[in-house]
Amino acid sequence: MSEAEPATESGNEAEAAGDTAGGDAVRPWNDRRVGQLLTVAQREFDTVTRTRTYAALAVVFGLVVVALPSLGGLAGYLPLVLDLLTAVEVLVPVLAFGFGTWTVLADAETGELAVIRTYPVDRSTYVLGAYLGRAVGLLVAILAPLVVLGVATPVVREPATSVLASHGTVDSPTYFLRFVALTCIYGLVALALAMAVSSLARSRRSGVAAAVVALLVVVLGFDLLVVLGVGQGVLGSGTLPLALAASPPAAFRGLVLETAAGGLVETGPPAANAAASVVGLAGWLVVGLALATLRAWSPVGE
Amino acid sequence: MSDTDPPVAESDSESTATDRERANGEGSAGEEVVVAESLRRSFGDLTVLSDVSFTAESGTVNCFVGPNGSGKTTLLRIVAGLLAPSGGRLDVAGAEGRAVGYLPQNPAFRSQFTLAETLGFYEDLAGVEIDPADVLARVGLDAVADRPVGDLSGGMTRLFGIAQATVGDPPVLVLDEPSSGLDPTMTEHVGTVIRDLAGQGHTVLLATHDLGTVDRVADTVLVLDDGIIQVADSPETLRRETGSETLTHAVAQYLVGEAGGLTVRTGSRESGGDGEDGEHGEGEDE
Repeated sequence: MSEAEPATESGNEAEAAGDTAGGDAVRPWNDRRVGQLLTVAQREFDTVTRTRTYAALAVVFGLVVVALPSLGGLAGYLPLVLDLLTAVEVLVPVLAFGFGTWTVLADAETGELAVIRTYPVDRSTYVLGAYLGRAVGLLVAILAPLVVLGVATPVVREPATSVLASHGTVDSPTYFLRFVALTCIYGLVALALAMAVSSLARSRRSGVAAAVVALLVVVLGFDLLVVLGVGQGVLGSGTLPLALAASPPAAFRGLVLETAAGGLVETGPPAANAAASVVGLAGWLVVGLALATLRAWSPVGE
Repeated sequence: MSDTDPPVAESDSESTATDRERANGEGSAGEEVVVAESLRRSFGDLTVLSDVSFTAESGTVNCFVGPNGSGKTTLLRIVAGLLAPSGGRLDVAGAEGRAVGYLPQNPAFRSQFTLAETLGFYEDLAGVEIDPADVLARVGLDAVADRPVGDLSGGMTRLFGIAQATVGDPPVLVLDEPSSGLDPTMTEHVGTVIRDLAGQGHTVLLATHDLGTVDRVADTVLVLDDGIIQVADSPETLRRETGSETLTHAVAQYLVGEAGGLTVRTGSRESGGDGEDGEHGEGEDE
C-alpha cells in the first residue's frame, strides 16, 4: 500500500486480498487462502471431535432418530422416510444449532478472535473454514444413524402391514438415499443460520437466547406465518408453494414429498414448489454465511 | 520524526488512515518502526484518545502507563490493527507478512489443543514455517509443548500468549498487561522475555500498571492520561527530571488526576461498550 493511497482496509484484510504475499511469498494467493481455510476447518473439526458436549448431542440425536421408526417396526424405505420426516424437520436444526452456535462466538468470548485478526487471514476465509469444519462434524452426526437405519431396514424388514409397505414394487432404497441427501442439505442450511447467530451474538448468554429464538423461528415460525397467511386469505393457491419454499422446514418437507416419497403422498394443496424450495434453501444458506462473515468483524477503516 | 523518515501523508480525519508499510524489510536498529501522529479515538461522544503522537524504534521496549480508563488498551488495539482511529495517522513499518504480534489483556486459547498444536494453527495462518519447540523455548515453555492449553496456569497462558505473538516474526509486538496477575518470579521471567525479544530486534509496545517491570525493561516510558501522551522518556530521565527516587513517584508527577486513580470520562458510548463499534470485542479494561 503506498503512502498516497487511502487506507480503507486493515493491513490484514489488504494482505489477505493479495496486496502482499505474507511470510510465504512463493505460494500463490489462492493456494495460501485455501490452506488457511483448511487450517481453520481442521481446527473446528478437531474441536468438535474433542468436545464431549458435541459427542453427547450426536449420540442423543442418533438414538432418537434410530428409535423413532424402530418402535413401529422397519417396514421398508418408504415408510422409513415418512416416519422420520417430521422428527428430522425438528431435530436436525436443533443439532445444527448445537454444533454451530459456539464457533465465532467462542473465539470472540475468549478474545482469541482478536489474536486471529492480527494474522493475514480475511474474515470470509475464517468463517467459511469454521463452517466447513463444523459441517463435516455435523454431517457425520446426521449420517451415522441414517446409515444404521438404511442398512438395518432390509435385514429386519417386518411383514408388510401398511398400505404403503404393501406396495413392494414402489419401495426402493433410492427414496431413502434422496431423503438422506436432502436431510444433509437441510442440516447445512441450518448450520449456516447457526453460524450467523454465532457471529451476531455478543455474549454466551445472548448467544443462547438468540439460538433458541432462531430455532423457534426456523422450525415453527415460518410455518405459522404461512398458516396465518392462508387463514387471513393473504396466501392463495398460487402464492402458497412459493411461501412454503421460503420456510426452511417446509422447503425441506416439500422436496422430500416431491422426490423421496414415491409420489404416494398427496398433500391436497400443492406442497412447496420443488424449484422454489431449492432456491429457498440455497438462499438461506447464502444469507446465513453472508451474515456470519459480515458480522465476524469489520475490517479496520471500514 | 527526522527528515529521513518515509513520507507520511497529510493527517486526515476523514481517511482515518492506518497504513502498514511492509516494504522496508526488517527494521534496523534505531529505525522508527511505529509512527503515530495525532491519533484520536472516540466512542460516540466519548473521546478516549484526543491527540496521541509517539514514535517507537526497532529493538526497543516502549511502555504505556497511566490510570485505568486512560486509553492504553484502545491505543494498543489501534496499533494492532484491531480498531480504527477516529483521526490521525499511524504507520507501522516492517517486513512482509504479519506486521504486528498481539497479546490481549486476557489471553485464552482453545483448551482442547496442545501448545504445539495451537502454535501449528497460527503457523499455518501466518503462512510461515516454525519449530514450535523453538518458539516455546523463547518463553521457557518448551517442556510442556504437548500439554493441553487448558492445563496451563494463568501465568503460563500469558507466556504462551507472548510466544504466539512472535509467530511469523512480526517486527512489532503489542503486549497488553503482559505481567498482570503474575507472581514475582513469573513477572521477572516475563520481563526477561520481553528484553530478549527487543534484543532480537522486535519493537515492543506494552501497557501495564506494573511500574517495577517498566523500570526494568523500558527504554521509553509513555505516560498516557487525559487522552494524550503527557511525557515520553527513559525511566532514568523521568526520575531525574522529577527528582524522584522511584518511577512510581516520577510517573505520578505527570498524571492529570491523582496517582493511581481511576480516569472516569463522561459521555456515552453510542456504539456499545466493547470499543469495537458494535462488533465482537474483548470488553477489557483500559
